[in-house]
Amino acid sequence: MPKSVQYRANSIIYFKGDQSERIYLLNAGKVSLSYVDIESGQEMRDLIKTGEFFGVKSALGRYIREETAIVLQDSTVMVFSVGEFEQVASKNTRIITKMLKVFSNQLRRIHKQVQTLLVSDEQVNPETGLYKIGEYYMKNKRYGQALHAYKRYLVYYPSGAFATDVTSKIVSAEDFLSRYGSGEPPASAPAAAPAATAAAAGLSPSVSTSAQQAPADASGLAQQYYNAVSLVSQEKYMEAFKAFKKIIDGGADAEYSTKAEFEMAKCLFYLRQFDSCIKSFTTIVQKFPKHPEMKDALFFVARSYEEKGEKAKAAGLFKKILSMGTEDDPVIRKVKKALRTLEGGRV
Amino acid sequence: MVTFRKGDIIFCEYEPGDTFYLLQSGRVQIVRIIGELEKNIDILYPGEVFGEMAILEEAPRSATTIALDEVKALEFTKENFEVLMMGNPQIAMKLLKLFVKRIYDQKRRFMILTLEDVEAKVADVFLMLAENQSMDTSAGESIEFKTTVDDMSHWAGIPPGQCREVLNHFVAQRRIELHPDKIVVKNINDFARFVGSRRKHQEK
Repeated sequence: MPKSVQYRANSIIYFKGDQSERIYLLNAGKVSLSYVDIESGQEMRDLIKTGEFFGVKSALGRYIREETAIVLQDSTVMVFSVGEFEQVASKNTRIITKMLKVFSNQLRRIHKQVQTLLVSDEQVNPETGLYKIGEYYMKNKRYGQALHAYKRYLVYYPSGAFATDVTSKIVSAEDFLSRYGSGEPPASAPAAAPAATAAAAGLSPSVSTSAQQAPADASGLAQQYYNAVSLVSQEKYMEAFKAFKKIIDGGADAEYSTKAEFEMAKCLFYLRQFDSCIKSFTTIVQKFPKHPEMKDALFFVARSYEEKGEKAKAAGLFKKILSMGTEDDPVIRKVKKALRTLEGGRV
Repeated sequence: MVTFRKGDIIFCEYEPGDTFYLLQSGRVQIVRIIGELEKNIDILYPGEVFGEMAILEEAPRSATTIALDEVKALEFTKENFEVLMMGNPQIAMKLLKLFVKRIYDQKRRFMILTLEDVEAKVADVFLMLAENQSMDTSAGESIEFKTTVDDMSHWAGIPPGQCREVLNHFVAQRRIELHPDKIVVKNINDFARFVGSRRKHQEK
């Protein structure tokens, strides 16, 4: 049971440097805490208000007292052991939440003071820092973790200095993840991995309660999808890429996620991420050997090779596409034109 | 309640944070990428709190957390914080104790950083490490620390190169032994007196 204790004016409740597990509550009178401010080295004094606890930090943390508690006027003080304090506080959580606020303010202040002393050598620009974390995990073939870092990067810095690079690396990381796994997540993860990782990352606002997520409703999805397509037509490829990505991450059904994946790969071409574009389309055609837009997919792959200067590969693919369609097919007409340009260029 | 799969990153160093977690099941590893190395800072077990600095300020996360198993955790935000605390006095008390420890740790760090003399800074890091292990620094005992030059330089707030110089100097003075995975301080009280006198000298 906590005891009520009377203190005479000018007496000391405890000294700086003492070690004790007692916690005090001022019921009546006047008590001040005197201590040395660590920043200025000045002697400071804080008055305790009636109804306020003191001696809490050193008692709870079992540290030595950092201040001397001096009685200024005759006072009545309740004395608690740590156990008694915990009992009282758990019945009245307002005591704890109030203290948490006080302590968090103190913590914030001291944290800032420490940070100012570290400014010169420890501060890294958060944007670069986040990018480098992705780079580290990518380099170490921990694709799931690389993906998480890269995706977080795009959330916070959608038009940041590394956004284009990150966008194409997300595609590669997903590709590697589906082909080799990450080593860390379970081997069965690949298909679900990107969506689940994104969900865990809290990329979409509705997923913070669980790593699983119900697909968005179909009409909303259609809307999202066509908004993204319209971004492509406005040549806003980066934004479009992200919009499609969001559809996939949101756990869209197979129809829309397949479409979105295809469109993302196209965006990569326009973003001049040719290697990533090739990889993405290769993944798609491997996954869906009877893809309705197979010719288009191959067309973008061929154009990517052409842009990379690998003309023989490009020409080979163009010819393959020609063998797949008829004259009235718009893709075939595009291919014929591309082939003429390519072969004309070679002469 | 949030769930993470084994291997998932819960949050990344440098990303802005507005949530913190109470681990319910599974283990969480805290790491920092320093140069080309991923450094293990700590491994947390159920009942522990992490990411708590987020409710204080929207500063970037200071470390990356990875689920070592399937992890279930309670997620707190500034908004739901008070409500959750009201209903969970034990969690609130745990957090209160954690804050006490963090305040103490930060103050201790501040004391190290405000020392002007680099040798005193490094010596004071050893004292801090000894205190963290509840070791008596007034006894003239030899103490073994599982620490590295990089760790020491981090705590002392000085570049690793400079830290190594200081440590080499201590080796030459036969005050410490430097091993790849540990540092042995021959007489911790000698460092306590050295730091104490430097601090006094500075106050004058």
